[in-house]
Amino acid sequence: MKTWDYLTDPALAPIYRPSVVAGLAVALMGAPLAILVVLKRLAFIGQGVSHAAFGGAGIAYALGITGVVAAGATAGEAAGARLAFTGIVLAFCIASAIGIGRMTPGAERGPSRASGSAARADTAIAVVLVASMAFGFLLVNVVARRTRAPGQPAPPGVETVLFGSVVGVSWVDAAVGVAVALVVVGTLWWMRRPLLFWALDETSAAAFGVRTERVKMVLLVLNALAIVTIMRLAGVLLATALLVLPGATGLRLSDRLSGVMAWSLAAGVVGVMGGLVLSFEADLSPGPSIVLALVGVYGVACGVRGGTRRAMRAG
Amino acid sequence: MTTPTATSPLASPPDAVAARADAPAALDIRAVSYSYPGTTRPALEAINLRLEPGTRLGILGPNGGGKTTLLRLVLGLLKPQTGEIRVFGRTPREARRESLIGYVPQRAEIEAGFPLSVRQVVTLGATHAASAWRPLKPAQRDAVEKAIDLVDAREFADRPIGKLSGGQTQRVLIARALAASPRMLLLDEPTVGIDIAGQRRFAELLGRIHTNLGLTVVVVSHSVRTMATGCDMVACLRGRLHSHTAPAGLTPQLLAELFSHDVEGLFGGADVVVATPTGQQGHAHVHGEACDHGHEHHNAHDHCQPPTTP
Repeated sequence: MKTWDYLTDPALAPIYRPSVVAGLAVALMGAPLAILVVLKRLAFIGQGVSHAAFGGAGIAYALGITGVVAAGATAGEAAGARLAFTGIVLAFCIASAIGIGRMTPGAERGPSRASGSAARADTAIAVVLVASMAFGFLLVNVVARRTRAPGQPAPPGVETVLFGSVVGVSWVDAAVGVAVALVVVGTLWWMRRPLLFWALDETSAAAFGVRTERVKMVLLVLNALAIVTIMRLAGVLLATALLVLPGATGLRLSDRLSGVMAWSLAAGVVGVMGGLVLSFEADLSPGPSIVLALVGVYGVACGVRGGTRRAMRAG
Repeated sequence: MTTPTATSPLASPPDAVAARADAPAALDIRAVSYSYPGTTRPALEAINLRLEPGTRLGILGPNGGGKTTLLRLVLGLLKPQTGEIRVFGRTPREARRESLIGYVPQRAEIEAGFPLSVRQVVTLGATHAASAWRPLKPAQRDAVEKAIDLVDAREFADRPIGKLSGGQTQRVLIARALAASPRMLLLDEPTVGIDIAGQRRFAELLGRIHTNLGLTVVVVSHSVRTMATGCDMVACLRGRLHSHTAPAGLTPQLLAELFSHDVEGLFGGADVVVATPTGQQGHAHVHGEACDHGHEHHNAHDHCQPPTTP
């Protein structure tokens, strides 16, 4: 079994173990975020932000920051290159998240009647999404065609950025993933009361004095943080799946907050780990493998829910 | 006699909110106008309204008449282009910060299938601004439980909010508003999608809340039935505030004049039982028109009393 070998072989383990740690971090932060994304119907906004990551990656490439270093570089140099790349992508994602957030109508922002603001925001998100993808694709391609100096490593290709790579996840990425997961979960816990009020009923939350715009922006920035962490493993194209499917699964299986959280976390862990195993065994890109595993878990949840309903009707 | 405060209204005696001569009005709207950006016709124009503490006011009007806009102005979610609004002497923003207004939204605004129990939803009303570290204070817990009891939601307090009927959900939303210990309750179309029996129960509940807590209540609705059974005063709104009147003044003729509207539709084709808890009688009239009694009304607030019999 390849998976066992990859994770236990002293020569291979340092390459493959970071992806497992990063995957667990992603599942941990994705569980609570996905519930809010599903309940607030923010999946399209998440998709816009994740595609913005591709634009950010393109800019980083154009600046010569690809996150990879030449053979023989010190661990510090490698970590610095990783962090610089992640920082640029993160800045691009956060700017996009804030821009998209400001375009979407909110209860606290006043006039919305007769302005068609929801439709305009939808269009604007679509524009950001496709523009980022096109921009990123062009820059990544231009950089890939450049003649490299001797010894300079090739930057990760378009496919790696789009669909992720197991071997592309370093211990630095895993450490960043764990740190981001702690920040995301901690912030969500800290803001749980206003967040839940806002998610349940935005207008009432604003009427009760909840700073709904701030709450929305915080959630979008957390989303951007999560996407930047996920993109190493699953790629920008499929990062949103990790911020939707675990929550959708949890909401299928329970109508209690604690139950939804538990099922969402379980779905995330099973989906990410299942996807990684599939990726290791079949030598596939981890992004599609993880997403298919998550879709499978969601399908099982739908089947269980449907079966329970039929049994209740019959009984 | 005590005046209810932001911290203790659930414990207030029924007559606690009798207006004192020097007390600020519960709601004071002066010459307020509002137009949405990009529109030429104002959504609201020259609105004047003064509401004493403890009054139950219904704001009746057709769709697009400016009811929701007025409500958002009172909540401080919109800023008037002209005029000013005071809620218990504070700006709407201050009133919001001090939880003086308990807002009850339309049922449809609630996210269906949200994984929170009734008790958790009601608790949000009391704790949304509380520090993340602090657990629920005993006083907050007490306010939550009292609010649940007041709306008769005890038997389904642990059920998920998404599993409730329309009437039950409405009661929970009222409980959530009460848990914040407000001095004024603002309800937006509270009886939409609720059957006639449910509407009757809702009117009883509103009466009970008013009797027990003495809150000022403002109900915004296009349902004449809601107005007739749960309000002391009714204001008719269609861009302008056309009149104040006791519910007895809501005749089909008046409504037809004011709203150019299908009156049968407004009444839902059913008999309207007009209740006047205060025994107040009166008729409202279109701005600037003469009434049956020969009076001419020039002010939007003119309230015509029937001539006294010699």
